[in-house]
Amino acid sequence: MHRLVALLVTGFILLPACALGSSDQAAGSAPTSTTAQPVPEAATSTTRPPAPRTELSPLAARIVPLGSAIYDPATANPERPPRPTVLSIPAIGVSEVSIVDVGVLDNGEMEIPGRTEVGWYRYGPRPGEPGSAVLAAHIAFDGRAGVFRRLAAIEPGATVTVGFEDGSTGIYRVFETAQYPKDQLPNERVFSREGDPVLTLITCGGDFNRSLRSYADNVVAYAIPLSSFD
Amino acid sequence: MRTLTAIFAAALLTLAALPAMAQEEARIHLLHGIPDTNVDVEVGGANVFENFAFGETQDLSALAGETLVGLKVKLAGTDTVAIDAGDTALPASGNYTIIAHLDADGTPTLGVFANDTSAIAAGEGRIVVRHAAAAPAVDIKANGAVAFANVPNGAEGQLDLAPGILTAEVVPAGADAPVVIGPADLTVAEGASLIVYAVGSLDAGSLTVLTESIVGLGTAPAAVNTGDSPVGADMRLVVAAGLGAALMAAFAGRRRTAIDRRA
Repeated sequence: MHRLVALLVTGFILLPACALGSSDQAAGSAPTSTTAQPVPEAATSTTRPPAPRTELSPLAARIVPLGSAIYDPATANPERPPRPTVLSIPAIGVSEVSIVDVGVLDNGEMEIPGRTEVGWYRYGPRPGEPGSAVLAAHIAFDGRAGVFRRLAAIEPGATVTVGFEDGSTGIYRVFETAQYPKDQLPNERVFSREGDPVLTLITCGGDFNRSLRSYADNVVAYAIPLSSFD
Repeated sequence: MRTLTAIFAAALLTLAALPAMAQEEARIHLLHGIPDTNVDVEVGGANVFENFAFGETQDLSALAGETLVGLKVKLAGTDTVAIDAGDTALPASGNYTIIAHLDADGTPTLGVFANDTSAIAAGEGRIVVRHAAAAPAVDIKANGAVAFANVPNGAEGQLDLAPGILTAEVVPAGADAPVVIGPADLTVAEGASLIVYAVGSLDAGSLTVLTESIVGLGTAPAAVNTGDSPVGADMRLVVAAGLGAALMAAFAGRRRTAIDRRA
């Protein structure tokens, strides 16, 4: 970092010096010379930074100006992409299934909708926003198959189609699948709020514990917009 | 060999730099909260930045743990000192906002607020309100109801709540009118802290709002549980149903036979 600053400072000192040098040379040589043209005055002056009103403290270089904090209704309430409303994954027999908004239960677990629906985690990103938009559905409920019954069988390359509330459609492609013991689910990835937009499909899998009525693992498929593969 | 030595030296340097980097995790922002007043900020007899305008923010995080000797806020382009803060030690770590603002009587001052960066529960966002305006104590209303009552200049209140758009109004403490700031729509995002400053002067008619946001404080859901029955259960039910149907058919057949025999 210091080296970079030093280089920049050196650059500032060298540039005007070169300009002056060539001017001197031009003055001392024949007017017809083509090898040492005088540097135009305008060019010389642009190499000089605007002089501060006073000489700034050395501390100035370590202080970073940020943007304005003045309240602006537009930036305070940013427009967001539409909510997802319908999901199709032909490879695992999911066809035009309704997506509903879900949140968290009182015990802190993610809310999961009915057996025949898919839940979008409304507190996380919407598809298209930075981070991971999470869609969860049952593997099985009340003795019957859920929408994501066959999610563990999905393979990279599978197509995922999401319909949105405004009638638009997004096509995604699975690029990675994973199965994690539930206590090792990578929350920072699955529920990420930053980075390239990812669509994350999640359900349960692995061994079923009959006394706990619960599965040992989470099965996850990560997809990104088809356009990202171009 | 020389390259190896160089790499080794570089590695040592990196190690030595680590504690310094850890210290840089402090976040100290300086916010200008006095309307219509451009200022120069001076430390140790020289300006550190000039013509600093209302609402602008400067990131002082790199100076965490250092003392700003003879910190002065001056009217821009002059030697007129608006705030003489003296030697000011910046915290070495933590998350702070220093705001140049007016006190209740309209005198410029520096306020230091520690920002709460504790984790926010899954499904909630945080709102923090700070009174930094030349005005008496106020009530701050959210969606029509008083959320923070009788907040004097220099004080703050905070609340974790369901995310969404919240309509805020500031009224004199204990009164419904006049609305001195707002109504202003504020989006409280899940897992983020929205800090709202009431700034300006009631007498000068310059009351307004500054906001800053601290993101990444959220908590992921504790678990994703999506099955209460074994995945094969439905298959077994189908098999059982099939068997049952076959048995019933067989019985029916027998009964029919029996009836036939009786007939």
